[in-house]
Amino acid sequence: MSEWIAIGALGLVAVGIPLGMMAVSALLRPSVPEQGKRATYESGEVPTGTARVQFNIQYYMVALLFVVFDVETVLILPWTVIYRSALDQGVGLTTILGPMLAFIGALVVGLVWAWRNGAVEWVKSPLANRRKTERNA
Amino acid sequence: MVTPLQSQVLLPERIAGLLGLSGTIGQIVGGLLGAFIIANLLLVQTAVAGPWAKRKITAAFTDRIAVNRVGPFGLVVIVADAVRLLSKELVIPEGVDRPAYDLGPLLVPFSALLGFAVIPMGNGIHLADPETGLVFAFAASSIASLGLVMMGYGSNNKYSLLGGLRAIASNIAYEIPLVVTAASVVVFTGTLQMSEIVAQQTQPLLSIAGVTIPQWFAIVNPFAFVLFVVANLAEVGRNPFDVPEAPTEIVAGFQTEYSSVYFVLIYLGEFIHIFLGGAIAATLFLGGPAGPFLPGFVWFTIKIWAFYLFTQWARSAIPRVRIDQFLDIGWKGMLVLSFANLALTAIIVGVIA
Repeated sequence: MSEWIAIGALGLVAVGIPLGMMAVSALLRPSVPEQGKRATYESGEVPTGTARVQFNIQYYMVALLFVVFDVETVLILPWTVIYRSALDQGVGLTTILGPMLAFIGALVVGLVWAWRNGAVEWVKSPLANRRKTERNA
Repeated sequence: MVTPLQSQVLLPERIAGLLGLSGTIGQIVGGLLGAFIIANLLLVQTAVAGPWAKRKITAAFTDRIAVNRVGPFGLVVIVADAVRLLSKELVIPEGVDRPAYDLGPLLVPFSALLGFAVIPMGNGIHLADPETGLVFAFAASSIASLGLVMMGYGSNNKYSLLGGLRAIASNIAYEIPLVVTAASVVVFTGTLQMSEIVAQQTQPLLSIAGVTIPQWFAIVNPFAFVLFVVANLAEVGRNPFDVPEAPTEIVAGFQTEYSSVYFVLIYLGEFIHIFLGGAIAATLFLGGPAGPFLPGFVWFTIKIWAFYLFTQWARSAIPRVRIDQFLDIGWKGMLVLSFANLALTAIIVGVIA
């Protein structure tokens, strides 16, 4: 319990220090309310529209795969913790290692399947592909 | 079962003992003071690393001189730069998403500092030692990518948006190799507790001509160490994997629209993050604060600065990979290699033990 009190204390300090720096900066810095400089940066041009647009993020399949593998790391860690002491206490190698190898193997088969289906490829938009072939021709 | 080699007094208990406090009050006061000490140790190191060492190291690599005007070796430039940066005007761009825009720069240093709660720094500078220490350190350091996404979405800037999305892509591609490689060390240690991981590495591996080589996991499993360091570079977003910022492609990524104290906070967070990455690597693979002759804290500082020097070396020496190459390296290279490493480690440990 006491360790979580200490971690919570560091959490408080880790919020307090940035807030303190913001307070010091608020005392030091000038304020020149001029509107022209508030335009967002777009390489010196006048910005067109907002940044809240719909577009292809190009790796959503990878994001789905991430969920699978992240859950998998959660399941692997308890096994790595008990692995050695279980061996020391005389549990057979096939009993402790076999199921986990089968589990990792199943996931690797899944990864290979996703790989062959192009899920971990960088998705190119049809427009970019067309331009590329035009340029190569 | 493995028993602790030595009972270590943690920093909050020691402070509470010095102040003559006990019970919950002692835990809270000791915890707060200990946290304050650790945070300030990191702030001092970041202050040296950011405005001074980074310039000096890059200058040395590119055959320049860099800061040398104010104070010995130009060291007083740290104070000058701190005042200069904090006294800049804070320009809030049009159309920003206010809570997210302001919270992002707070989250980044928060997450990096929180991770240091479980890192044993030697000489009893160790704030907390929960049984889940290693997992906690990874969890705390991943909060930062949430801050990066908030900055990317909140800024109302297309470059920031791309930078924020790239930050998620890098996090999801390299988080799994990082954790799975760490799991291959846990196969050796059988525990996630940081003090125990360090204690096991003090045991001798072998003796050559009277010199005892300790059982550091970088020596026991150098392949895992290389994998971990590479995945760590991507996790902290440094070259050759600094695609979230990529100054020549997307200006400055998620931090394009930040000025004044917010800029300082983002940079502070990134440097503490590099140190946290180095600290986790040192604890897992390099025996934590262990080392001959010098006190533990000095060795710990040397190790995390060695990792910092490595990131700056890579920054000067290696070109940045493209975003699609970056994801390919993560998903097709690192992920497969880290699983091979875990399976082989488990088999070798099982056959030998």
